[in-house]
Amino acid sequence: MTLNDLWVLLRQDLAQSFRVSGAKGKRTEQRSTLRRLFLPIGAVLFAVVIILGLAWVVPRIGWEILDTLLTENIGTGSSLFNILLLFSFIGSIMISATTVGNSSRMEYLMTMPLSLRTLFLEKTIIVILYSSAFFLVIGTPIFIGLSIVSNAPLAFLSIPTFLGMMVVLSTLGVSIGGLLGLLFSRILAGRRRLKQAGWFIGTSLTVLVSALYYYFIFLSDGFGDILPWLGDILAALGFTSGISPGAATSALSLGFLVGEPIIINDVFLAFLYGALAIVLVNLNAYVSETAHYSGWLASGSKRTSKTKTPVVHDIWDPQTIPGFKFNTAVSVSVWYNITNIRREGRVLAQYLIGPLRFIVIIIFGMFAGGDLLMGFTPFIVIAITVPFVVSYAVSFAGYELVYEGKNLMNLQLAPLSMYDYVIGKVYSSAPFALVVSVGTSVLVSVLAPSLLVYVPAVILSAVFINQAAGGIAANAAAMGGDFKAERIVTRQRGASVQMPIRGWSILRAQLFPNMLGFAGLTAVLGLGQLLGPLFTYLALVPFGLICLSLSRRYARSAGIKLTEKEASDYL
Amino acid sequence: MIEVLGLKKMFNEFIAVDNLSFQVNPGEIYGLLGPNGSGKSTTMRMLLGLLKPTEGTAKVMGFDIRDEIVEAKRMMGYVPEEPVLPQRLTGWEYANYVSDIWRIPRGPEREEELDELLTLLDIKDASDDLIETYSKGMSRKTSLVAALIHQPKVLILDEVQAGIDPRGAATVKEILNGLRAKGATILMSTHVLEIAEQLCDRIGIINEGRMVAEGSMADLRLQAKGEKSLEEIFLSLTGGPDMQKIAEYLGDVK
Repeated sequence: MTLNDLWVLLRQDLAQSFRVSGAKGKRTEQRSTLRRLFLPIGAVLFAVVIILGLAWVVPRIGWEILDTLLTENIGTGSSLFNILLLFSFIGSIMISATTVGNSSRMEYLMTMPLSLRTLFLEKTIIVILYSSAFFLVIGTPIFIGLSIVSNAPLAFLSIPTFLGMMVVLSTLGVSIGGLLGLLFSRILAGRRRLKQAGWFIGTSLTVLVSALYYYFIFLSDGFGDILPWLGDILAALGFTSGISPGAATSALSLGFLVGEPIIINDVFLAFLYGALAIVLVNLNAYVSETAHYSGWLASGSKRTSKTKTPVVHDIWDPQTIPGFKFNTAVSVSVWYNITNIRREGRVLAQYLIGPLRFIVIIIFGMFAGGDLLMGFTPFIVIAITVPFVVSYAVSFAGYELVYEGKNLMNLQLAPLSMYDYVIGKVYSSAPFALVVSVGTSVLVSVLAPSLLVYVPAVILSAVFINQAAGGIAANAAAMGGDFKAERIVTRQRGASVQMPIRGWSILRAQLFPNMLGFAGLTAVLGLGQLLGPLFTYLALVPFGLICLSLSRRYARSAGIKLTEKEASDYL
Repeated sequence: MIEVLGLKKMFNEFIAVDNLSFQVNPGEIYGLLGPNGSGKSTTMRMLLGLLKPTEGTAKVMGFDIRDEIVEAKRMMGYVPEEPVLPQRLTGWEYANYVSDIWRIPRGPEREEELDELLTLLDIKDASDDLIETYSKGMSRKTSLVAALIHQPKVLILDEVQAGIDPRGAATVKEILNGLRAKGATILMSTHVLEIAEQLCDRIGIINEGRMVAEGSMADLRLQAKGEKSLEEIFLSLTGGPDMQKIAEYLGDVK
C-alpha cells in the first residue's frame, strides 16, 4: 500500500461525490454553480451564523452560566458522544458490508495496480468521512463560537480535540460496524430466507432495544443509575466520567473549553482509542480484502459439478403476507419487494438511523423538561413507533420504487395496472410496521399496565400510518426519484447525502406522514385519556379511513406518473 | 506471457474451474471459448487477482498471481464484459484518473496520448460528458481506453466487441492486430465464433471448467477429424441445441 495510491483514490471519490466544477458535455444536464455548491455554501453559512450568534448571545447572558452548565454536564456530554458513536456503528453495518458485497461494481479499480487492501481502506475512509461530516458541520462552529467567548486559557484547543475525537469516534463506529456487517454477510451469503427473517427480526429488535434504552434513561437519572457498580469501578480507577470513547471526548473537548484540569488518564484514553481506531480501520480493510479475494461472500451454490440433479419446482403461488389474498399483480409486487430486501438492505439500515436521530432530539427535549414531563414518558415511547413505521414505508414504497430502475421498462411493457404494483409495495411494509408496533406497545403496557387497553389501538394506528406513509412516499418517489440511482456507484455505498429521492420530494415523503402520524396518534390516545378508552376506538375508525384513503389516492397518482415515465428517465 | 498452471476454483461444492492449464505467448492472441458458465470469466478474474485460486497458480510476465499480484496487474490491461465505470466522472476525467493510478506522468504528452485514443475510438466528442449519459458501447470503448492507456504488455478482454458499433468493432480489431504485431500477449473471450476464427492464433475451448480442446484452427480441425467450421467444432465439443425440445416448443406455440 502506498499513500500516493490512497490519495489518488480519495481525491477522485470526493471529486465525484462533491463535484465543484461542472461537466461541460452536451449530453450532460448542466447544473448552476449555486446548485453544485449548495451543500458547502449551506455549511459555511450555518457555521458563520452559529459562530457570530454565540459570540453575540453568550456575553449577554454571561459566560459563567454556560460554564457552570457545561462543567456540570460533562457526563451528559459523554452519553451524547457515545450516541454519535452508536449512530456511526449502526449506519455502517450494512454500508461497509455491501461495499464489499458490491465489489463487482468496482472491478475497474480492482484490476488496476493497487492492492485490494488499499482499495477497501479507501472505501472505509470515505464511509468514515460521510459518517462524521454531518456531526462535524454541526459541532465545529459550536466549538469555535464557544472558544471565542470562553474565559479558559486553552479553550481553542477544544476545537482540534473535538475534530480529532469525532474522527476517532466515527472510525471506531464504522470499523466495528463494518466488521460486524462482514460477519453477517458471511453468515447470510446465499441464504435468502435467513436474510429476510434476519432483517425482519433485526430491524424490529433495533426499535425495541432503542425504545427500552430510552425508557430506562427516563426512569433513571442517566447511565449511572442503570449500572451503578460500573461507575464505582471507574471512579476507583481514577477516570473522570467513565472509560468509554464518548467519555474521553467529552472530558477533553469540554474540559479545554471550560478550563477544567485535564486528567492524564483521559489523555491516555484518547490516544488509546486513536490507536484502536487505526488498528480497526486497517483490520476492516484486511478482512474486506480476504472476504472478496477468497470469494466467501459469493452465494453458496447448491449445485455440484459432479452430479446432475433434476430441478423440480412447486406450483408458483407465493403467499407473502399470511392470511391475505391479493390479485396477481399485487401479490407479485409484495413478493418481489420483500424478496429483494437484501438489495437495498443498507438503505433500510441507513434509514433506521433517521428515526433514531429524531427520537434522540425528542428525548433530549424531554430531559430539559425534567420531572414536569415525566408523566408523558410512556406516550413518548409509543411515539417512537411513528418515525419507524414511516421509515419502513419510505424505504419499502419510496426507495424500492426508485430502485426498480430499468425494471420499469418491463413493467411498462406488461399488461399490468401500475397502481396494483405500487400498492403491493405499500402493503409489503405493513408486516414490519405491525411487528414494531406490537413490540413497542406491549413493552410499554408491561411498564405502564394502565395503558394495556390501548395496545390494539396503537398497533392499528401504526399500520394505518404506515400505509398512508407508503402511498405518499411512492408518489414522492414517482415525482422526484432518481431512477438511474441504482447504477451510480457512490450511491451504492448508501451515503446518506445521496439518497435516491431528490429535492422537495424527499421532504414530502417524510414530513407529511410524520406530521399525520404524530397528530393522529396524539388525537386517538388523547381522546382516550380525556374521555375514556372507548373514544380512542371510536376515533380510530375515521383516522384509519383517512389513512387508507390517502394511501390509495397517492398510490394511484404514483401509478399514473410511473406509466407516463419516459425511457430516458430510467435507462 | 501468461502461464496458467493447473488452476482450480471452487465455490463451496461447485467446481467453476477444474485443473486448467494453458499458455499465451507474446505476440499471440489466444481465444478462450466456452458456453455460458463454463468458467471463462472466473479464469480471467483469477488472473487479474480478483479471485483466489483454490489450487494451482498462474504467472503473468513472470509474476505469480498469488504472491506478486500488484506487479502482475501493472503489466495488464483489462476490459470486462460489463464495464461498471464511475458514473459521476466525465470520460476525460476517468481517463486521467486511471492514468494517475498507473502513474503515467502528467503533462502534454499524456494528454496527447489520451486524445489520440479517445479520437480513435470515436468518443472524443462525448469526453466532457458524465459517464452516466453514455450508451453501453461508449462505456465499453471508455473501458478500452482505460485498458490501453499504460500500453500494457498483456491484455485481457472479456467479450470486448459486444455492444460496439461495426466501425468501432473494426477499429478494435485493427488495434488488437497492431498490438499483436508489437509483441503484446492477448487473452480474449468471445461468443462470436467468427471473431475468434479471424483474430485468434490459438483457441482454447472450455466446458464445465475443463479444457476440452486447444490449438490453432488447423489443430482443432485435425482433432475434430474433418474440414469443419469453428462453430461445428464448438458445438460437437460442448453440445449443440436440443432439436427435439425446440420442435416440441414450436409445436406448443399457437
